[in-house]
Amino acid sequence: SVKQHVVRKFLGLISSHNIPVYLIDPLILGLVDKDIEQIKSSPDGPSLECKYFCAPRDFTTFALLDKTWKHEVGLFRTAEKMGFQWLKIINKDPRLDGMDDLSGIEIPLHYIFKLASHAIHLVVFYERSGNYLWHGPLRLKQHMDRKFVPFRKLHFGRYPGAYEKPELLLISIDDLKVQIPKNPSSFLEEMSHSRFLECRYREARAFFQLYPDDTSLDAVEFRKKAKSLLHLAALTLNNLGVKFWLSSGTCLGWYRQCSVIPHSKDVDLGVFIRDYKADIIPAFQKAGLPLKHKFGKVEDSLELSFQGEDDVKLDIFFFYEEDDHIWNGGTQARSGKKFKYLFPKFTLCWTEFVELKVHVPCETLQYVEANYGADWKVPVKTWDWKSSPSNVQYNGVWPVDEWDDVIQIY
Amino acid sequence: MDEWKPNPPIKPHKKRSWYLAWKYKLMNQRALRKLCQTGAVLFLLVTVIVNIKLILDTRRAAYEEEEESAQDYDDEMLNVEVPRHPVNNKKVLDVEVYSSRSKVYVAVDGTTVLEDEAREQGRGIHVIVLNQATGHVMAKRVFDTYSPHEDEAMVLFLNMVARGRILIFTIKDEGSFHLKDTAKNVLKSLGSQVAPFLSWRDMWTFVGKKGGEVYGEKHAKSPALSTWGDPVLLKTEVHLTSVEDAECHWPDTELNRRRKRFCSKVEGYGSVCSCKDPTPIEFNPDPLKDNKVFDVPVAVIAGNRPNYLYRMLRSLLSAQGVNPQMITVFIDGYYEEPMDVVELFGLSGIQHTPISIKNARVSQHYKASLTATFNLFPDAKFAVVLEEDLDISVDFFSFLSQSIHLLEEDESLYCISAWNDQGYEHTAEDPSLLYRVETMPGLGWVLRKSLYKDELEPKWPTPEKLWDWDMWMRMPEQRKGRECIIPDISRSYHFGIVGLNMNGYFHEAYFKKHKFNTVPNVQLKNVESLRKDAYETEIHRLLGEAEVLDHSKNPCEDSFVPDTEGKVYVMFIRMEQEADFTTWTQLAKCLHIWDLDVRGNHKGLWRLFRKKNHFLVVGVPASPYSSKKPSSVTPIYMEPPAKEEGAAAVPAVAAAEQT
Repeated sequence: SVKQHVVRKFLGLISSHNIPVYLIDPLILGLVDKDIEQIKSSPDGPSLECKYFCAPRDFTTFALLDKTWKHEVGLFRTAEKMGFQWLKIINKDPRLDGMDDLSGIEIPLHYIFKLASHAIHLVVFYERSGNYLWHGPLRLKQHMDRKFVPFRKLHFGRYPGAYEKPELLLISIDDLKVQIPKNPSSFLEEMSHSRFLECRYREARAFFQLYPDDTSLDAVEFRKKAKSLLHLAALTLNNLGVKFWLSSGTCLGWYRQCSVIPHSKDVDLGVFIRDYKADIIPAFQKAGLPLKHKFGKVEDSLELSFQGEDDVKLDIFFFYEEDDHIWNGGTQARSGKKFKYLFPKFTLCWTEFVELKVHVPCETLQYVEANYGADWKVPVKTWDWKSSPSNVQYNGVWPVDEWDDVIQIY
Repeated sequence: MDEWKPNPPIKPHKKRSWYLAWKYKLMNQRALRKLCQTGAVLFLLVTVIVNIKLILDTRRAAYEEEEESAQDYDDEMLNVEVPRHPVNNKKVLDVEVYSSRSKVYVAVDGTTVLEDEAREQGRGIHVIVLNQATGHVMAKRVFDTYSPHEDEAMVLFLNMVARGRILIFTIKDEGSFHLKDTAKNVLKSLGSQVAPFLSWRDMWTFVGKKGGEVYGEKHAKSPALSTWGDPVLLKTEVHLTSVEDAECHWPDTELNRRRKRFCSKVEGYGSVCSCKDPTPIEFNPDPLKDNKVFDVPVAVIAGNRPNYLYRMLRSLLSAQGVNPQMITVFIDGYYEEPMDVVELFGLSGIQHTPISIKNARVSQHYKASLTATFNLFPDAKFAVVLEEDLDISVDFFSFLSQSIHLLEEDESLYCISAWNDQGYEHTAEDPSLLYRVETMPGLGWVLRKSLYKDELEPKWPTPEKLWDWDMWMRMPEQRKGRECIIPDISRSYHFGIVGLNMNGYFHEAYFKKHKFNTVPNVQLKNVESLRKDAYETEIHRLLGEAEVLDHSKNPCEDSFVPDTEGKVYVMFIRMEQEADFTTWTQLAKCLHIWDLDVRGNHKGLWRLFRKKNHFLVVGVPASPYSSKKPSSVTPIYMEPPAKEEGAAAVPAVAAAEQT
């Protein structure tokens, strides 16, 4: 088969230059995953049939870790000698995008090697702050051959993506030795919601032009504490396997200025109520964050607050999904009044914030606008959570006999 | 997709070089100029139409863009295209050269490549080197040959220029007073008839090819001592050669391709561009066994001193254990030549838009460079910070590899630095010896990421503060009592004599005689004794062993220290409290070491060498080591000179800063 032949040639090319790549082709990984036990148990058995690499498709996708190779010209010369046509897609380095006025390097994001009717898509992964891997979007510049391969069918490149650093496994399939992610099914699961949003650095700079940043010692201290609280919260929730995202003021800070808002005084996270686990409270307590208050109950308007270092508070709001919207609840302790905050439906994307890979709503603008109204770009120092949000609704009063349960203050 | 904007603003700096090249070519063709311009306008129009069509195609072909972010972050699509049909090969350049008392200029095909009419500046002989095939400016220098030794620098420079290049000379104000015969002869050998007779306040212009024809020379004699010669304007034509003739024929390798690109653009780097026997640009020093700093990023902070950067990178890339992939050069400004140097060595370089002025500009550049370094290498726990005017010792990485674990484990440490402020030829002796000091020397040092990210970055001085980054880092609010580890013999050498806070006198007095280690693979001695508590034990042991010097003698005299070798001596000076450096400063001054502020101290103790003996100075009673002073010894007190004299003794650059 042409496909197997091209993959074989490509692997030959790559190994002759000592470049470690691993297979991330979703189609082949899916096939491999079905037989994974068998493949693991017979590592070197000759196979008579071509079961994986001959599956019908236009290209095969591999990953390359940027730091494991030098950008050498020699590779492309050898590739050409072997008959490959190749295409390199470069773009700005997002790791420097957040910084004022640096320029100099565009980095390679994707390579495509084409031979006969088959192509190899090589996705370059970069390590970024927050201990994760990132790959860039695939965007063609004007002089590029738009028909080089059917770009729209590529599995990687529509959006940038964020991934954990994978553990690799060397397997032998169809008489070819190839590295794959150790757990193909969890890689495929990760891939399905890997979409990454870059912070809006340019807008953030414009914001700070208008509203100069607070660099007082208090602000510096608060940011430092908020950052370490967020790191601790992320560690705790990730260990429990609870998916969360930046919400309220923390989300606004990311979206508007790519940093913690110094006068916000707390850290806000959102969690879908379906991901709620009873272990959350003890896990935070164990991490040194005692419960400060608990409002509502799992069935309705649940909200947890934990006490961080020096008055910095961690709020976790639980979100309830309805057919056409999503909401979370609020409770006024003194009166037992209930409030409801409505949001349009959203999905979750990865982003990087204070050296952490975290989720934010992909539809961030709608989310922020729902919460803060059309004037979200203007900093507001006095904020009343009962009346200021533009999406707040009065939601009745908790029955007095439930107060002990739904209003717990420590 | 719908809101997708096809023409974001074009960044000027990226487009500059081809734009100039094109403009240049067009202006060459005098007869065809008008025609070409019209053609270009038409071409632009066609390009725009083609682009719009392409954009429409792109909409179909490329991915669906995300609605709100894509529009701002997409590639520049509506680039103005370079004309595809090259304007006919030009053969002749028009050159205009002007020389006068207050103004010089050089124009090549109508483009001004030099213009200097600033008052009290730019005196002497201006030299421009053009590529003989393309007409591009490859180097621009001015030698103030009114002053001594500048003619020697000019001769050095002219000797480095490759044969065949076009040289343009013009004098501003005065260029003959210290123009010695050697230099005059070199100019004569280039074909100048006037040079041997150039005299006081003559005006002079000259255009010629190195080792070839003369294109023109004009001269105006000064009629009297008190007046200048009349301005002269030389207009001439220069015939260009083919590109092949202007290049060397090195074997076609990746390295030589880099070399070729470099050598066709710039001049003044000597044998790196020699056709016959070019100096290597790849060094392959021995790897280090068990190299603990192989994965530590190296940030080279640079400005617009490309010759310095060239020298610096050569020494860095020759150091054992260097990992070129971890090196990033950060250039403060969009200067082309430093970037050319970076690319010559196959390294990566990043340019930074200058923010603020003077010291604050340097400080902002440092911040951007450090932030970028940790962004680019998110796994790194440390970064090595270097500057473009440093030589790097052959065992620089070996020194760091042996000591870096201390910075990781000992929280009382602030940095590791390759530089000993007090390590002069006559005061440093032992390449295997390390110290702990309460000052932050800089000049080749290691920064811990957590220190930067958690403490320094968030409160880094803002541009309007106009602070020196290193002075700021030395302030107690930042340093918080932590110390740096330094070697007795420095692993870096500060060769820069042109700089923000630097001049020839200052360099001569404080940097020239600094000791620099040239021994490879030095095994550091007793590294564990540099830890906080162990170091105290070590100091007490040393003081216990030390012989007390005769305090009745003058400590400035050589005879103060006996003519021995390898012994340990101690002296006690008066130091009333922690910040009383009166006597120390006087002692430092007479020992000819750094005296502009206090450096190299550890709890009121200084360690150096005199006559190959270890020499300890203890400040009494402020130092905790004062208890070692025998009761019979009176600490030496040295009086500061009276105010007026003092002012004269301290150079203008009293705000001592080394960068």
